[in-house]
Amino acid sequence: MTLTAVSAATLRELSRRRVALLFVFVLPLVFYVVRVEVPWQALRFLALGIGWAVATLALFSHVGARRLDQRLGVIGASPTGLFFGRQLAVVVTGLGLAGIYFVIVALTQEIPRLPALALLLVTTVLISAPLGAVVSLVVPRELEGALALLTIMTLQLLVDPADAVAKLLPLWSTRELSAYAIEPVGEDYLYRGLLHFAVTLVLCVLLAWVVSYFRLRPVRLLPPA
Amino acid sequence: MMSPQEWGSQLVAHLLEAGIEPEQARLLAQDSVAEAESAGEDPAALYGPAVAYAYVVGQTLRAPIAAPLDRARGAVVLRLTEVTKRYGRRTVLRGVNLTLHGGEVAAVVGANGSGKSTLLNICAGSTRASGGTVERTPRVGYAPQQYGVSPFLTAQEHFRLFGAVHRMSGRKSVATGSRLAQQLGWLPRRDIVAAHLSGGTQQKLNVVLSELNRPDLVLLDEPYQGFDQHTYLDFWDQVFAWRDAGAGVLVVTHLLHDLDRVDHLLELPKADES
Repeated sequence: MTLTAVSAATLRELSRRRVALLFVFVLPLVFYVVRVEVPWQALRFLALGIGWAVATLALFSHVGARRLDQRLGVIGASPTGLFFGRQLAVVVTGLGLAGIYFVIVALTQEIPRLPALALLLVTTVLISAPLGAVVSLVVPRELEGALALLTIMTLQLLVDPADAVAKLLPLWSTRELSAYAIEPVGEDYLYRGLLHFAVTLVLCVLLAWVVSYFRLRPVRLLPPA
Repeated sequence: MMSPQEWGSQLVAHLLEAGIEPEQARLLAQDSVAEAESAGEDPAALYGPAVAYAYVVGQTLRAPIAAPLDRARGAVVLRLTEVTKRYGRRTVLRGVNLTLHGGEVAAVVGANGSGKSTLLNICAGSTRASGGTVERTPRVGYAPQQYGVSPFLTAQEHFRLFGAVHRMSGRKSVATGSRLAQQLGWLPRRDIVAAHLSGGTQQKLNVVLSELNRPDLVLLDEPYQGFDQHTYLDFWDQVFAWRDAGAGVLVVTHLLHDLDRVDHLLELPKADES
């Protein structure tokens, strides 16, 4: 019950931040448009833009709700329900964004493997929501957290994806999946991308969930004897 | 000179602010103006300023709503034994003791930096004590001093969210929250998010959320900041109504008003740096 109520409340909160939502839409668009002449780059940049926007949304959602969630935890809300409730709302919003860009890309590019495009966008959203939560827990202030995300995304954009170190970055899978969607490459790209996605997703979700569980769990107090 | 109609309009506006339903407010204003006219008096001369009359009428109408709720009395709801809190070398709380029963009010007073909010957070469970023991009933209501509400949610959405935690249906949460709001002289509107409420009204929302599930213990951290004089008095009336209904209430305060009516006064000394 907590999960659905928190999720519904978070969606309402997000829906009222219209200017923020506008920029959540504009950011990936800018990334896409500046590389639209080079399709594989346009796809990868679009995915990174969506990832950045969704991670930022998650960051602000978790940081902004921290005190309220602590209060809800004190009166009995499950820390797990609070965490996944906020995550669910961000993922739903991110999937809506991904859906819009799926249509835009399908209409403006020749994509040989359309399902792979959907996979690219969905996996990006699924990684980015817990990634934003992880950053919100490590750097629990909005400005500092946004700068931390900026650093991660700048690295993601500038580091050569072929470099072994690049695989340590959370959205490396976008390179493999965007190549698989648009270029005549083998399925090894798909498998490598999905493997990286799965490992990153599990790590981010586990880390964010465990840390937020301990942050939101109130001290256990015994009833008076 | 204000016409009777203008006085009546002002009375309606003030009654609405005091949490009276619009239809009832209009009828009351009509009756008041008609009564003054039949007595051959100007309503302002007969009843006084509309704002003052609205307050009196509002209090009278709210009185039956504030009837004590049916709750068990007397059991210990909070026991603090030699509670201490240190941050590094700084001792904020030293050997705090308190036993609070249902049906009692305790006020925590002290200078700025004496650890009042820290103590309340320890009672709530959001901060861990460095030493001593804290025993507390699990059914607790908690109103922190700041950031206890979401700026982007309306009052009704808050009621539903908090009600869900207490496993109340959405309808029951909104009905209970609206009724409690009226006791504080506030009629929540459906279309206004918390960020657009005045500071005092945000605090009313904060207080209402702490009482939504009729807890056995209510923890309040200076919740009256931003209240006007009338609301401040309504707030203390509400605190004593909860006490009379059997709940234990712990209020952090720096104001000495009404402290002669509380059952326990816990004065915290200024924290030391040693």
